[in-house]
Amino acid sequence: MSTAAIPGTGAPAGAATTAERGSDAYIRVKGIAFLNAFYGAMRTVKLYPPDNAVVQRALDELVQHTEEFRAHEHELELRTSGEFLFLNHTRLRLDLDNFATFSRIISAFADAGVGSCGVSAGAGKREWTVFLSLFQGVSREDDPDVRRARLIDRLNDAGVRCFELGPPSDADEEFLEKAKEAAKRTYAQSVSVTREVINSLRMGHSPNIKKIKRVVQSIVDQILNEETSLIGLTTLRDYDEYTFTHSVNVCIFSVALGRKIGLTRLQLYDLGVAALMHDIGKARVPLDVLNKPSGLTDDEWRQIAAHPWQGVLALFQMRGQMDIPYRAMVVAFEHHKKIDLTGYPKHIRPREMSIYSRIVSVADAFDAATSRRAYQTTPLSPAAVLQELRANPRRGMDQVVVKAFMSLVGHYPVGTMVVLDSFELAVVHSVNPAPDAVSRPVVRIISDAMGNLVHPGYLADLMQGDPATGTFARTIIKIADPERYGIRISDYFV
Amino acid sequence: MTAPTVRQPAGATDAPPPPPFPPDVVEEMLRQLAKTVRTHQLYLPNNPIYQRAIDSLRASFAPIWAHTDTLVVGVGEQEFRWEGLTLAHEASRSESLAWTLYKDGVREITLQPGFEGNELDVLLDILRRIRKALPEEDDLLTLLWEQEFLYLRYRFVDAPVAAAAPIEGPSESCPTSVPPPAEMPSLEESRPGIVRMDDFDSTVYFLDEHEIDYLRDAVQAEYQSDLRRNVLAVVFDIFEVQADAKVRTEILEILQHLMVHLLTTSQFGAVAYLLHEAKEASSRAQGLTAEHADTLRRLSERLSEPAALAEMLRSLDESTQVPPQAELDELFAELRPSTLGIVLGWIGKLQNASVRTVLVKASNRLAAANTAELVRLILSPDEGTALEAIRRAGELKTAAGVAPLGRLLSSPSVQFRQAAAQALSEIGTPGALKALEPAIGDADREVRITALRAVAARGHVAALDAIRSLVRSKNVREADLTEKMAVFEAFGALSGAEGVELLDAMLNGRGFLGRREDTDMRACAAMALGRIGGPEALEALRRGSADKEVLVRNAVNRALREATE
Repeated sequence: MSTAAIPGTGAPAGAATTAERGSDAYIRVKGIAFLNAFYGAMRTVKLYPPDNAVVQRALDELVQHTEEFRAHEHELELRTSGEFLFLNHTRLRLDLDNFATFSRIISAFADAGVGSCGVSAGAGKREWTVFLSLFQGVSREDDPDVRRARLIDRLNDAGVRCFELGPPSDADEEFLEKAKEAAKRTYAQSVSVTREVINSLRMGHSPNIKKIKRVVQSIVDQILNEETSLIGLTTLRDYDEYTFTHSVNVCIFSVALGRKIGLTRLQLYDLGVAALMHDIGKARVPLDVLNKPSGLTDDEWRQIAAHPWQGVLALFQMRGQMDIPYRAMVVAFEHHKKIDLTGYPKHIRPREMSIYSRIVSVADAFDAATSRRAYQTTPLSPAAVLQELRANPRRGMDQVVVKAFMSLVGHYPVGTMVVLDSFELAVVHSVNPAPDAVSRPVVRIISDAMGNLVHPGYLADLMQGDPATGTFARTIIKIADPERYGIRISDYFV
Repeated sequence: MTAPTVRQPAGATDAPPPPPFPPDVVEEMLRQLAKTVRTHQLYLPNNPIYQRAIDSLRASFAPIWAHTDTLVVGVGEQEFRWEGLTLAHEASRSESLAWTLYKDGVREITLQPGFEGNELDVLLDILRRIRKALPEEDDLLTLLWEQEFLYLRYRFVDAPVAAAAPIEGPSESCPTSVPPPAEMPSLEESRPGIVRMDDFDSTVYFLDEHEIDYLRDAVQAEYQSDLRRNVLAVVFDIFEVQADAKVRTEILEILQHLMVHLLTTSQFGAVAYLLHEAKEASSRAQGLTAEHADTLRRLSERLSEPAALAEMLRSLDESTQVPPQAELDELFAELRPSTLGIVLGWIGKLQNASVRTVLVKASNRLAAANTAELVRLILSPDEGTALEAIRRAGELKTAAGVAPLGRLLSSPSVQFRQAAAQALSEIGTPGALKALEPAIGDADREVRITALRAVAARGHVAALDAIRSLVRSKNVREADLTEKMAVFEAFGALSGAEGVELLDAMLNGRGFLGRREDTDMRACAAMALGRIGGPEALEALRRGSADKEVLVRNAVNRALREATE
């Protein structure tokens, strides 16, 4: 069984929502085991002679995983698509424990000119030995199609016919489209629930935390499966009141950052709930103060600055919970504190700043500075904000967390508009997973050199080379201000 | 009751396609599942009845997997559906397994081979929890989400949320062309949008091992920290910093509820912290109104009230988990001295031995910090409280308790006299031993022996006259061997060489008509001589070594060995 399922929630506004969970869990878990065995065998076959005991053990393991997987799923196809690795149409999750394996397998596929590798019955130790040896021995001088054809010929010559090799493909559009739709549902529902909770508190009611849990579960699932679409939606402007979208954006960035630093699924959930609720105290700040476009009086500033501690009290107001959301309370209280515990609100008792507060602080600062708000009509560019967070110690951010955040969003965060050396305009679609490609994201080309806009445009990996020149096909030369071009960035993410 | 399979399609008029395999095997599995869930409610997992049920349930999957490797079962309000057939319909919704799933939104479950292993246990545990869950607890969907099932997936509907504006596609008013990027004037260098590669040191983007460790340590610390205390510290900080009366009133209400919640969940350390910080805040907060000060004071004293404390002790006794000793100690340190009596009174009533052990230790700390109260409780009218207070006074060597303990030695209650003698013996100060002297002649054997051993062990010479009289008395000759030994042991320990003459006469002498002391008395005299030692005592022992009685000879020989070592 193999489905390209993307857990998600949601349907049109106001309707009961339906979703499916757990559909690809087997492939994700067993797939990582298969991938590790595949990579382990790749390395040993490259390093040692075939009859070496280490090679034999690695091959035994690979054969065992292959057979087990095929017995359960009836098929096995490993496929690369853009920065993703798919096993039987299910995207495997990248995390701290396996990113190097992912990266090297993707590179090996690209080197061999192979986009997909189906494994049918009969793939024993001998077949794998031959395949892995030839697979890693392909000369890179030729065109990918030539390389792949040569590899297929050599496999046939060796009598190995249980591997079906396909050409490289661009990013899986169908997968991305489904992911985008799921992300839109999750995002809309998250904003809606946040609005419901904050408005409910404003009215003096006790909102139910169960809905919050559900949307955070969806955000965590979405980030674990395909974070790009959801992160792309953080570029949405004027979708709803700033406080609501900002809370959801901070939740998305925090969970994505948490994933980057290796938090478990349940830890991501804890972090997500805390992040979504970090500004809950604003429900107790009068709307006219919250939305005031001009300078604030001292008293108004005091009201705004009260929102972290008001958030703690507001969280005690929530109902439908057996466990008091202590972690969310700590984050609500601390998210405007600096790493040295200065900042606001004032505290008296000795304390240490929670790592979750430090994560949410960075996500909060990034989203706030890149958003248009009542008193900030011109948002800063994502790159400028990153620079400020890193370079200005007065911001008081945890520099390791900032660094991790920068590695999450890259030199050019998702949604940044850039001009390429081809004089095409592009919008950064996703960070390139290759560690040495932070300045070469995957972009969506949105105009040609003459300024003719194309919608929805097309994806281009800036790591891709130009065979004619042996250099990169495209390179970013500068960041552009979308407003100067009259372009709405979020149009390319919805 | 599980109703038989309805062989008609659910809600369809056309004849459905025949099921791919007999529905009986699916129905049997569902029946076993419902049965096992019920059994799981009633029995512990190690119970044979539960074991049999789950074994049968696991076995019921085999016939299904013989036909398919994917089983999709629809979930209705009171029934399951499979291939258009209604299965395992329950007349009563409350008993229906389907309803347990349905009410929380699950509409379909899909199982695959392998599910009947560990994942089945996990699901059964979730179903057990959800059936007992309170409305405030996590629902089924959250509990399922927390697990990453490999062989189970589920489709669910969720509660509707307030209208969420759909996220529209690209705006129709967007331009079709823009100025050619090459012709756009460059932004000024100082503008933040300009990329200066110098700004970016590419190494900054990748965490080194040290930084990864730093983050991992921080996450570990996050999950090891005491969140409750952290939040309590936050709440008290807000209370102290914010002088607004409304805010303080709200916080005090929160704290009152929170204390009950923490007690309910046996978070005694956090309760102790709350009580402690309430006192701190009361003394430190600026501009505290009389009402707020009073509420804070009552907050810290509330748990010291008899009814509240008794309720806590009752719940402790009924709890299946024993609280950590340190937390209980910390909590008791925050209680008023007057609570000692309530705690001591409860110790004797506790059913849970483990709880009693930690409570005794905690009460010792409370008693040690509140000696005056402990001394007062020695004469408490409540028998259980008084007895525990006497024991604590002894264990803690509370010298201040000597007077009331001495008074208790004349109590008509043997239990009290025994406890008091034991306590005085443990206190062991000259005053305590002086108070203990009358007990040497107590009517109760245990009291007498306790007193004799205590004065002997502490060398309380002041009791010598009383013991000498006892050695000569008729009473000691009528006592059992243990008591005789205690008397002679004490005499030997206290008399020194002065006692040899009397003991020699008892061991070797003959009385009227040549009668000798009985065997036990001679053996005890030998033992006492051995204790005294010295040339005169040894001489007396040597003379006694030819005694005809084995018991006496053995005692003499042992005494000689001890005296000469």
